[in-house]
Amino acid sequence: MGRSLIGPRIRERRRTLGLTQADVAAKAGISASYLNLIEGNKRSIGGTLLQRIAAQLGLAVDDIDGAAERRLLDDLEELAGETLFAGLQLNRSSASELASRHAPWAHALIALHRSWLDRNRAVDALSDRLTQDPRLADAVHDLLTKASAIRSSSEILENVHDLEPAQRARFTSIVGSNSRKLADAAQALAAYFDSTHADARSNMPVEELDDFLVERDNYFPELERVAAEFRAAAGIEGDCGDGELLAFLERRHSVQLRVQAAADLPPGVDPRHFAYDPVARTITIADSAPPASRRFALARTATALHDGGRSIAAELDRATALTSDMARRRAERALSSYLAAAVLMPYAAFRDAAARSRYDIEYLARRFLASIEQVCHRLVTLRRPGESGIPFGLLRVDAAGFVTKRFALPHLSLPRHGNACPLWAAYGAFQAPGAVVRQLAEFPSGDRFLFVAQTVEKTRPAFAMPRRLLSIMLACNALYADQTIYGDGLSTASPAGIVPVGTNCRTCVRRACAYREEDPIIDA
Amino acid sequence: MAVRILLVEDDSHLVESLTFVLEREGFEVRAASDGEAAMRHLRFDPPDTMILDVMLPLLNGFEVLKFVKSDPVLKAMPVIVLTAKGQAHDRQMAETIGVEAFMTKPFSNRDIVDAVRHLTTRA
Repeated sequence: MGRSLIGPRIRERRRTLGLTQADVAAKAGISASYLNLIEGNKRSIGGTLLQRIAAQLGLAVDDIDGAAERRLLDDLEELAGETLFAGLQLNRSSASELASRHAPWAHALIALHRSWLDRNRAVDALSDRLTQDPRLADAVHDLLTKASAIRSSSEILENVHDLEPAQRARFTSIVGSNSRKLADAAQALAAYFDSTHADARSNMPVEELDDFLVERDNYFPELERVAAEFRAAAGIEGDCGDGELLAFLERRHSVQLRVQAAADLPPGVDPRHFAYDPVARTITIADSAPPASRRFALARTATALHDGGRSIAAELDRATALTSDMARRRAERALSSYLAAAVLMPYAAFRDAAARSRYDIEYLARRFLASIEQVCHRLVTLRRPGESGIPFGLLRVDAAGFVTKRFALPHLSLPRHGNACPLWAAYGAFQAPGAVVRQLAEFPSGDRFLFVAQTVEKTRPAFAMPRRLLSIMLACNALYADQTIYGDGLSTASPAGIVPVGTNCRTCVRRACAYREEDPIIDA
Repeated sequence: MAVRILLVEDDSHLVESLTFVLEREGFEVRAASDGEAAMRHLRFDPPDTMILDVMLPLLNGFEVLKFVKSDPVLKAMPVIVLTAKGQAHDRQMAETIGVEAFMTKPFSNRDIVDAVRHLTTRA
């Protein structure tokens, strides 16, 4: 589903609206004959012209260039990869037909698939709890032991007729005290089941947040404006360090920063995060938090206080994709990070530095006193029309392969559920923690992407615990590789440097792949 | 000479009532309230039979059972394992290590006396 459908879509929409080629062409600032060539797919179209024509036809560019449909197809393909459908020979061409001819049905299937996965996860979580949770096993054992003590003593009281008065008093007291303990243990167990229920969280909010960000192309002009306005109000002209933020917080809002040893944090404050107390007017953060995290915490609080949360609330109000409170809370956090990043890495300066350094992630992190992860996130937001950077996708995975953040690209589908292809640089990065790993990856479709991955290390709770590594991967179309330092020395012309990858084993057609761990389910 | 039982259970009230019942039946009962105390008894003053709870502080019941069943002398000693109802996994684990009988909590005094008598007269 590529460019080939753009022309016919424009023609079909124009006719539906009862407009002539001359009408639309004139308003879009081109000749009718040129529009005719576009509609006949004899001329390619993109960029601002496509935006103008889409606007004339009352369509989103996504709808007209098939991006929305491609996302739908990627989701259908992931659904087709379910073992449940192994015998049905679901393939991409019939998925494509469904998506183009019956899009609402395709959306219904995807919605069902997501909620089915979600229920499965809840069931797994509950069943794990019942069979493996040591607290539950302990509690049951404790209950039954107390019941045994009561039963044994009461049988003695009932059946032994020659008990001495002292013995009778002793066993009566055992029955009494164990009955009370049994009641307490039963209550604790009931409370435990309540919390188990609350913990069986849904994954849907994560997906809704994904959809929301994709829908907005991960670029929020209003938040960029608020960030610029905040910088002006706080008198920040160049780089924004802790000092500027602290001075602003203290001057305008009488808010102080408290840095505390992780062990001394008040209950409820996660040492990995920070807490703002609006009553005490303090921001509390662990002394183990890296400088970039501390600065980010200050920027989040400062922007939230400055703007009263209004700009984020306005974005959330417009977000139709977010149906649950949980999804809205996640989106709120994501947008608050967006706003902080826009303050610390202002759009124009960041984009210029990125272009001039040829997207050198490590340089950008040093230049903007930011973490690698913050820089990668900011790179993905460089989508301002007319001033965009390279369109990057992003993936974050943990050592178990679990995807914790994703932002997909047209033609690059990133797994929502389960793992990606083990050949991806995102996983390779774990072999050399901290080093930047790059890769020119080719998908079975022939699409090529530049992957750049690096692990970042989060604070671990104790020395004896494993290092907490996450791999962050940026992806862009291989056509942009030469604009980055990571493309140097990689040639799309020579097959030797290109790694044949897939999306994941189940949907991959490379049958002979040495890295295959699961049979393909989808037909080539 | 009375049959000597080692009762390994961390609930002191249950130990008290079972000791009373078993002693009335003519058995000699010693108690240990955790896995390590049980090991000390087993090493220095081995009993004729052992009633062993699976959930114990310090060394758990399986570790104690494994020690007994891999010891050339002790392994002939019959062991009754106390499990909680519904913990099929515990039963399987104890069976794999080797155990003579199970008793599911909450049991009656009569059940445990019968089980001990059955195992000690058989031996």
